[in-house]
Amino acid sequence: MTAAQSGSRYTAVAIFLHWIMALGIIALAVIGLTMTHVKLKPHDLFKLYQLHKSIGITILLAAFLRLAWRLVHRPPSLPAAMPPLERKAAGASHLLLYGFLFVLPMTGWAVVSAAPLNIPTVLYGLVPWPHLPILSTLHNKAPVDHVLARTHDYLAFALIALVTLHAAAALRHHLWLRDDVLTRMLPHGRRHQSETANQ
Amino acid sequence: MTGSKILAALLVATLATVRAAAADAPNWTIDLAKSKLGFSGTQTGDPFTGSFTRYNAAIAFDPAHLETSHIKVAVDLSSAATGDEQRDTALPGDDWFDIAHFPQATFASNTIRKKPDGTYEAAGTLTLRGAAHPLTLPFALDVNGASAHAKGHATLIRTAFGVGQGQWTTGDYVALEVGIDIDIVATRAK
Repeated sequence: MTAAQSGSRYTAVAIFLHWIMALGIIALAVIGLTMTHVKLKPHDLFKLYQLHKSIGITILLAAFLRLAWRLVHRPPSLPAAMPPLERKAAGASHLLLYGFLFVLPMTGWAVVSAAPLNIPTVLYGLVPWPHLPILSTLHNKAPVDHVLARTHDYLAFALIALVTLHAAAALRHHLWLRDDVLTRMLPHGRRHQSETANQ
Repeated sequence: MTGSKILAALLVATLATVRAAAADAPNWTIDLAKSKLGFSGTQTGDPFTGSFTRYNAAIAFDPAHLETSHIKVAVDLSSAATGDEQRDTALPGDDWFDIAHFPQATFASNTIRKKPDGTYEAAGTLTLRGAAHPLTLPFALDVNGASAHAKGHATLIRTAFGVGQGQWTTGDYVALEVGIDIDIVATRAK
C-alpha cells in the first residue's frame, strides 16, 4: 500500500453532515430537474416545489452548522504523497463546494421571494419560513424573478458538475491511489475495513 | 313607457306605505359558537374547506313580513382559516383578499323571498375586495320558537371580485368557482 495518512478520520458530526447533505443535494437535483422538465399534474408539481423548497432551506441551515463545525475541527490532512497541484485542486474544489452550499439555497430562496405567484413557504408543511426582504415587495417582480431563476438554474448545473468531479476524485483515491481519502469520510461501519487495508 | 313609469311610481308608493304600516321585523342575534360561515374551493384539483371565525350580522327577519326583513353581514377577512398554514398565509395577501386595503367583505340583502318549496332566498349585493356584485343566497330555515337555524349554499366566481391576481386569474391552480356555506343559529330578540 502507498503511504496514506491512516488513523485520522473525519469526526462523526462531519461525516453525518456530509452524507445527509449529499443525500439532500442529490434529491434536490432530481426534484429540480423533474419539476422543470417533466410535465406533471398541477397537484404533483406544486407538492414537488414545496418539497424542493423545504429540502433546500434545510441544506442552507445545515451549511451554517457544517461551516461552524469545520472552523473549529481540523479535517484529517491529505495523503503525504499527494502532488502540490492536486492539493490545490482539492482545496479549491472544497472551498467551491462550501460556497455552493450557501449560494445555491440563497438563490433558490431569492427566486421564491421574487416569484410573482408569491407562494408562502412552509417547511415540510409545518414550519413557516419568510420571504427575503426587498425581493418580496418589488413592484415588478417578473423580470427579477426571471434572472434569479436562470441564475439558480445555471448554478445548479455547475454544482452537479462539481459534485460529480468531487465523487470521481474520491473514487480515484479509493480505487486507483488506494489511500484513505474516501474511507475516512465513510460512516463508522467501514472504519475497520479501512484500517485493515492500510496495514 | 310613461305608463310603466307611472305604474312603477305607484308601486314604490304602495310599498312605502306597506313598509310604514308593517311592524318592524324582529332582530335576530347570531350564536357564533353554534354557527359557521364557511367557504370551499379547489386547489390543484384538491377540494378544501375553510371558515371565517369573525363576522357579525344585523338580521331583521319576519317570515310573515319578508318585505321588511333584511340581512346584512360583515366578515372580517383576516379570520379566514382553512387548516393549511401555506394557504392561510397567502389568503390575506394582496393577490387574494388584500386585507390591507379591503379588511371586510359585506353582504346586504335587497329582497328576501319564500320559494314554493318552503325554502327562502336572499338576493343582495356582495362586496368583496372592492367589487360589488349581486349574489343570491338560497337557504332553508327552521324556526323553533325564539330560535332559528338557517342553512344555505351559494357559489361565486372569485375573479369577478378580483380574488386571485396575476397568474391566479386563471383556474389552473385554484379553481375560479368558490362555495359559500352558511350554517347559522340565531335567537330572536325579545
